[in-house]
Amino acid sequence: MISESIITIKGLTKDFPVGSGYFRALNEVNLEFGRGEFAGLIGPSGSGKTTLLNIIGSLDTPTKGEVIVLGKDISHLNSQESASLRKEKLGFIFQSYNLLPVYTVYENVEFPLLLLNLPETERKKMVMEALEWVGLTQKVKSRPSMLSGGECQRVAIARAMVKKPIIVLADEPTANLDAENSHHILRTMATLNQELNTTFIFATHDEKVISYLKRRITLADGSLVSA
Amino acid sequence: MLSIKLAYKNLIGAGLRTWLNVFVLSLAFVIIIWHKGMLDGWDHQAKSDMIAWECGGGQYWNDKYDPNDLFTLEESHGILPQTLKELETKKEATSILISQGSIYPEGRMQSVLLKGIDPDQQILDIPSTKLKTAGSEIQVLIGEYMAKTNRLKKGDVFSMRWRTSNGAFDAADAVVAGIFKTNVPTVDAAQLWLPIETLRQMLDMPDESTILVTRQISENHPEAKGWKFQNLSILLSDVDKMIQAKSISGSILWLILMMLAMLAIFDTQVLSIFRRQKEIGTCIALGMTKGQVIRLFTIEGAMHSIFAMIVALLWGTPLLYLQAVKGITMPGDKNTYGITIADVLYPSYSLGLVASTCIIVFITTAIVSYLPSRKIAGMNPTEAIRGKIK
Repeated sequence: MISESIITIKGLTKDFPVGSGYFRALNEVNLEFGRGEFAGLIGPSGSGKTTLLNIIGSLDTPTKGEVIVLGKDISHLNSQESASLRKEKLGFIFQSYNLLPVYTVYENVEFPLLLLNLPETERKKMVMEALEWVGLTQKVKSRPSMLSGGECQRVAIARAMVKKPIIVLADEPTANLDAENSHHILRTMATLNQELNTTFIFATHDEKVISYLKRRITLADGSLVSA
Repeated sequence: MLSIKLAYKNLIGAGLRTWLNVFVLSLAFVIIIWHKGMLDGWDHQAKSDMIAWECGGGQYWNDKYDPNDLFTLEESHGILPQTLKELETKKEATSILISQGSIYPEGRMQSVLLKGIDPDQQILDIPSTKLKTAGSEIQVLIGEYMAKTNRLKKGDVFSMRWRTSNGAFDAADAVVAGIFKTNVPTVDAAQLWLPIETLRQMLDMPDESTILVTRQISENHPEAKGWKFQNLSILLSDVDKMIQAKSISGSILWLILMMLAMLAIFDTQVLSIFRRQKEIGTCIALGMTKGQVIRLFTIEGAMHSIFAMIVALLWGTPLLYLQAVKGITMPGDKNTYGITIADVLYPSYSLGLVASTCIIVFITTAIVSYLPSRKIAGMNPTEAIRGKIK
């Protein structure tokens, strides 16, 4: 039973053109996510996890069906509106961290706040708070190239969490990390989920991640197997 | 403002790649300004020399006078009307009588223009007072180039032949009373300056003149029947045409320099967009619109030109200043160029020149940066995030 629904997916189908035909990545998916969930989309490669995550994140649009995120229908958002949704309400964590290479740790975490036009003093406070959550306050001046994989992913988590988004979408966040670092960042995310009531949705097939999930949604060949 | 901040951070963060482009662009800046400054300096110098030595504040020409047609010289002379005579009396103008003649230095023959000038005139820089020297021979003044080509020196005596107004040939000995140095070949090459009264007597043209040169600052140019006033824009039109021709050839250099600099920027932008696709995707995921990312990349490219201006200012200013002060010595015998050009050219850099160069380079850089950045609009952010765009 979902207390407060923030994502509603009805009859979602996504096709990608391939040659003269198309490839169906998602087929009639129906789902709902509530506030504060720690959920994961599980399934093998090609099952449609990342595609679903991208559509929830308004980086892609459905071919058919309805995806309502925080009251907004993804299919009907223009580029300005979807950018605004991502900027204000969503956080992203990627498999390969996607940190901006020429920025320091501080600047990378500050970036989403710059887009929100927050004043410098407020930005500084929020960045330092986010870096404290992930234990990287000593590395503010380091560049991504000077950090380990685990540290980079922690910076990515801080960047995703710094604006305290309602939803964080994490695509294979542990795929490039060893077991110790994986557990470290998963514990961090679980704590943030509890403390800030942020909804975390993972796309993963990593057993370590799965063991932390409170809700597991299994996909196979673009269709929902269990939710 | 945010785009500027981010673009600045990105450029500084890119390190050597940025500075290489900036240096190439700063080279273009300095060379464009230097080249244009040289032309402007030459233009300024040539015009002020021509005004000082030949044109004054403008000239009245006898209606039949055509400096490009020597055959008109026989007919193009006359007595100045009263209005022009008054100018001469008030020392606001000086008459020049022009005729054809020949000289025979060391037995060789040289066709020359005989130019009669008032030895007391102060309108032109020609040192005509030297013509006041007393002697049995006709006193003449020549320029350095004329002296060199005819192997004449001060005090040399040579035979001179001319035709009188009646068409009869006459001859006399002339002595070089002085040799002057000028940058204006049209008062030097094959020119013989002698007292106007002497020339009038020689030609049997009492009180007659071919042209009347007015004082530089004089604005009193009355109408005179049979004489037409030639203002400075007409008299200096040859210099303008020459500078224009040089500017056209200069614009080829400008184009090559700009193309080199723009190629560097374009290349960097294309590479950037390909290499930084993950970054572009991430920026979009974090909440930037494609338009904002395009603007960011365009500003980044255009900002190269701002950095280049600063770099050019740092190394170009002392260099250009030194050239403006010391000048550039013209190689070889510049008298043989046949154009008004000083021994040392001083480039002239105006604020307008620097500002227009900066604006042109900035706008061109912005356009060149924008063109490849438009590719971002067609990017699929989900592919870009993973760096999968080929």
